[in-house]
Amino acid sequence: MNRSAWLALALAVVAPSAAIAHHSAIRFDLTIRDNMVTGIVKEWVPANPHTKIVLEVTDEKGTRDIEYEGHSRNNYYRGGWRDGMVNVGDKITLNAAPTRDGSDGGYALGVITADGTRF
Amino acid sequence: MNETKVLARLGVAVLGLCMAGVVVVAERPDFTGVWGNYRAPGAGPPQRGAPAAPLPLKPEAKAKVDAYHALVDSRGETPGGFCLGTGMPGSMLGSGGYPMEIVQHDDLIIVVFEAHAEIRRIYLGEPAKEEDLFPDRNGYSLGRWDGDKLIVETTHLKEAVDQGRYPHSEDAKVVEEYTLVTNDDGTRVLTSKMTLTDPAFYTQTITAEKKWQFLPGVRLLPYECNEPTWEAHLDELRQQQHGGHAGQ
Repeated sequence: MNRSAWLALALAVVAPSAAIAHHSAIRFDLTIRDNMVTGIVKEWVPANPHTKIVLEVTDEKGTRDIEYEGHSRNNYYRGGWRDGMVNVGDKITLNAAPTRDGSDGGYALGVITADGTRF
Repeated sequence: MNETKVLARLGVAVLGLCMAGVVVVAERPDFTGVWGNYRAPGAGPPQRGAPAAPLPLKPEAKAKVDAYHALVDSRGETPGGFCLGTGMPGSMLGSGGYPMEIVQHDDLIIVVFEAHAEIRRIYLGEPAKEEDLFPDRNGYSLGRWDGDKLIVETTHLKEAVDQGRYPHSEDAKVVEEYTLVTNDDGTRVLTSKMTLTDPAFYTQTITAEKKWQFLPGVRLLPYECNEPTWEAHLDELRQQQHGGHAGQ
């Protein structure tokens, strides 16, 4: 199975049903697949069942740290992520399904790293 | 050579094999390896589609299942979200879309699901003594070969209203029939036909089918789901320790 097939599988099967320990994916509107957010990495914790990402984001509301949930480390790995690709201080872009209530945060469906690698 | 002569010679050959004590046994397939959800050639990614058809649950069982869903659905919480393995039959029917690895021995088949590093053991020898068994989310599985088919019977399951598709009581029995075929394109496909019998929960038996495909070159990854929780706990302890020292 190639990388894109694994990622498609992850998006279609895993994301809606799993939830980070003591958290829940129901907060996110997973029908919105084209919301892009760029920021500076403050934390990148690849983990199962979900990765924790904190970005320093600047937008019309100002500059602040926003926490995002991501796919499991294993699904990011199969989508192409490798250790060291994302580091604190990097400027990255997330394809992030937003929260349902419009508050800060989102579910990182995909990542574009500082050098343009996508997973 | 005409057809009659061919059949006659074939009959003599079969008779000869029988007289020589030769028993033709179907070759047992080897399931060892890593397997993922089967996708037919040209098929798109799995769709979330319409809700599954209602289950033929008895009223008491439906009340239990409904109460569970009333508790967690609005919060989107699942056993997996709390790092708990799926349990049977959900583990074998999907396990969150993650791959599984099968290690096949003569007397034991070990199934390792990547999600939650969940493990299922299928024993092929003598059954365990009843007094040595206790209920578990994956139960106790005893298998036997029927030619090239593997038949697995699973009992001693815990009552599980949190199963994603087929909740069940502790009296549930799951029988699976595994067959392995190689498609024309070379894809090895493992099929499980499952029958769930649970008179305490259902008005009729439940059947389902699951297909896996062999994933050559794929390795199962570690899945330490509780690690962030443990590290957060350590951070909390350090903060408490720091606070205690600061007050002295």
